[in-house]
Amino acid sequence: MDSVTVVVIGGGATGTGILRDLSMRGVKTLLIERGDLASDASGRFHGLLHSGARYAVTDPRSAKECIEENAILRRIGKHCVEKTEGFFVRLEGDGEDYEGQWVAGCAAARIHAKRVDLKEARRLEPHLSRRAVSVFRVPDSAIDGFRLCWQNVASARRYGGEVRTYTEATGIERAGDRVVGVTVCDTLTGAVDSIGCDHVVNAAGSWVGRVASWAGIEVDVKPDRGVLIAFNHRFTNRVINRLRPPANGDIFVPHGPITVLGTTSSPVASADDNVPHVEEVLELLHNGTELFEDLPKYRILRAYAGARPLYSPGEGRAASRDFTILDHSTDGLRGLTSAAGGKLTSYRLMAEKTADVVCRELGVKAACRTAAEPMVEDPPRRLVTRARPFFPPYGLDLAASRLGAAFGPVVQGLQMHPEERRLICECEMVTLAEVESAAREPTTFNLGDIRRRTRMGMGTCQGAFCSLRAVGALVSHDLVADKDGKALIRDFLETRWKGIRPVLWGDQIREAEFQREVYAATLNLDGTAQR
Amino acid sequence: MSACDVVVIGGGLSGLVAAAAAAERDKKVVLIAKGVGAIAVGSGSIDVLGYEAGGKPVARPLAEMGKLPSNHPYARAGKQATAKAFEFFLDLCEKGGFPYSGSADVARWVPTAIGTLKPTCFLPRSMDPAPLEAAKAAVVVGFRGLKDYYPELIIRGLMQVPAYPKRFRTVIVDPEMAGRDVNALDIARWLDTESGRHACIEQMLTGIAPGNVVLVPPVLGTVPNYGVLEEFEKATTCKFIEITGMPPAITGLRLYDLLVSEIKKRGVRIVEHATVTRAVVDNGRCTAVVTHGVDRERTHPARSFILATGGFYSGGLEAGFGSAREPVFGLPVKVPESQSDWSNAFLLSGGAQPFARFGLDVDARLRPTDGSGKAVFENVYAVGRTLSGFDDAFEKSGNGVAVVTGYRAGTLVA
Repeated sequence: MDSVTVVVIGGGATGTGILRDLSMRGVKTLLIERGDLASDASGRFHGLLHSGARYAVTDPRSAKECIEENAILRRIGKHCVEKTEGFFVRLEGDGEDYEGQWVAGCAAARIHAKRVDLKEARRLEPHLSRRAVSVFRVPDSAIDGFRLCWQNVASARRYGGEVRTYTEATGIERAGDRVVGVTVCDTLTGAVDSIGCDHVVNAAGSWVGRVASWAGIEVDVKPDRGVLIAFNHRFTNRVINRLRPPANGDIFVPHGPITVLGTTSSPVASADDNVPHVEEVLELLHNGTELFEDLPKYRILRAYAGARPLYSPGEGRAASRDFTILDHSTDGLRGLTSAAGGKLTSYRLMAEKTADVVCRELGVKAACRTAAEPMVEDPPRRLVTRARPFFPPYGLDLAASRLGAAFGPVVQGLQMHPEERRLICECEMVTLAEVESAAREPTTFNLGDIRRRTRMGMGTCQGAFCSLRAVGALVSHDLVADKDGKALIRDFLETRWKGIRPVLWGDQIREAEFQREVYAATLNLDGTAQR
Repeated sequence: MSACDVVVIGGGLSGLVAAAAAAERDKKVVLIAKGVGAIAVGSGSIDVLGYEAGGKPVARPLAEMGKLPSNHPYARAGKQATAKAFEFFLDLCEKGGFPYSGSADVARWVPTAIGTLKPTCFLPRSMDPAPLEAAKAAVVVGFRGLKDYYPELIIRGLMQVPAYPKRFRTVIVDPEMAGRDVNALDIARWLDTESGRHACIEQMLTGIAPGNVVLVPPVLGTVPNYGVLEEFEKATTCKFIEITGMPPAITGLRLYDLLVSEIKKRGVRIVEHATVTRAVVDNGRCTAVVTHGVDRERTHPARSFILATGGFYSGGLEAGFGSAREPVFGLPVKVPESQSDWSNAFLLSGGAQPFARFGLDVDARLRPTDGSGKAVFENVYAVGRTLSGFDDAFEKSGNGVAVVTGYRAGTLVA
């Protein structure tokens, strides 16, 4: 049985943020996650780093938190944040009164919202609706949730923090009124284990209530489902928000070559169901078309769904997006802290407040330093120069940002084996060297893990070309152990299919027919063997 | 422009065979093509019927066809036309100097780029798997930098095939294309050159011995003949087998080139890079179709029209939310009421996908019908993937249906 000081349950933004915070304060911490990092809400949202302007009227406290954390993350997380800025756009027919309240709300929260001349706004975003009557500029940004979590972990590891993915917590062990450990199960092998610790942090997002219930404590976190659509084009360079009371389908966020439209909001019994329904997709498209009139002509890549963990009275979007730290010694159990509610933009603050509670109980005096130190160092300029011949011009910065500390070893490998520069994923410009680097990580077990590290398979072809290449290359380099290559490809394609199926028309049905022509008709990935 | 007998719309396998069959009957044929169709996606083998509806492999495809439902394209074309179509196809290939072999009543299993076997019927000699079935050991040749082909992946899969060799080794050939991404077409063009072939043979000889069975990606030249294959066999005294792989499928492109040159020989006029945008109809007949090419609109009058525009991938079918249509004639395409019934929960589900079976319903003469089963136009015929009632990817029947329905329509036109 292993033993650490703190076990963090949950590998989303909050959990990885807590891991980083505690590790930087010198507390020996292990994070466990039942899937891959960011495999739920932290990877299943619009990827918007809020300026807070969206909450300026409805939730002033969140608005203020957002703008402060937005500034910090743009500094410490520049390799997972794209500083796009954002527009708030009021259309003909949207209430003018709300605009006034919103401007006042932004001012009160100290969110810099500046009116943009309509002609200038159209020059900057030519696809925007002609029905726009007011446009404001705010410091919204795009953020890659997968990379954010991994960069938190990379930073934590430098301070001794550890991570075990595909490890599900199954129970909390107690001795009298104290927590003494957690029982865990390896979700890939089924092996059961327990980990001794002085403190458990429950950062399980929508599943916080479930984890707390193992200790006999009730925490009422309600999952609230949000559906999003990824489009195959970057038709906006800025985050676009509708300037009206927050509603479904009024946020667009550009990410690399794609654009994400979100979201919906509906209370659900379980956060485990993350397959979007056609009706939800249609509602998003309907509302989104008001901001971008040509939206129905744009090719969709896929739809996906995640769940916001809401902790507060009230339901859905009307509830506060605030977070609450629950020190369960008030419930008569020492050594358990739950981080409930919250949202991605303020995850760092939530982690800081959680770590404060944990440190107080552990008697650790060190202060939080997560806001001061970047998560990933910039690559040295010499290294970038050395790397240049091996990457497409646009792909170089992408790779450097994605790889972080692994960039150096990857470039070194490329100097020895230049043929590994070949692009496995043309859509997202991912080289073989990068795929191999991700595959060599001890936390990588399938192509989905590689996808979340590299973005391979997230673009136009949705895995049609890169899945065979990635598996082929990994088998060649003996990086898949005894796994069945065919099963790896199939699992990857089926995961992508879940998001294509709810939008199966237009070019999506074309792509699906193509994928089946290749993988079923030509390669017979689906048929049974001859004998 | 002088009127012709038949306009074939679509330059994929079904359109090419239809044009050839009509021309064989001395019809004056124009074939209008937007591109090369899905022929470069498949591998150029003629799959006839690999699996029955329950997912069991079919040992005798021709016999199995008798059990197909009446709306399946094979059932529509009829038993006699089916047998004749394959004869016609084999004859075309023979005459074109690129003979195919096989029988519609014997399933043959060919190795693929992911190490599976897939059922098919007619093959070019370069894809014949017989030597592999008889061998105790085999060599898999790879090419440095070829990014859609991985010998180790193939070996890992083939090792699991009961009757196959258990000993494999690899030989990697360097085509000296470092510095750029390489696909099968690059290698095939390299092997079109004498210096490329010599360099390749020389490198292969370091790892293969006389009598070996050698698996290669589909790269043995771009030209539809067995020149590269024979040169390799002669220089090494080995047996070579081309494996099916990712697009661009060189083996498919070879078949395309062969058929194009055969129909040209038979006097078919080909209009390339042209998209048919609409049809001119009059009193239950189509009188002409209009193309939009690189320059201007053109009208192509004819007595009969064969629609060989393919499925969703090729643009012969289009889907919006809740509906699907055929864009040239605006013919009806039936779809389930609820969008969630369009597809199965799994992409490769072990059963037919509903959307893969969307297409045109036709009568016994392959003429698209309206809801009541009556032909919409007396002189418009539909062939290949445009037809409803079969999932070619699941059944492994795409090229077979293309050949059979293409031939059948070519013999029906007035």
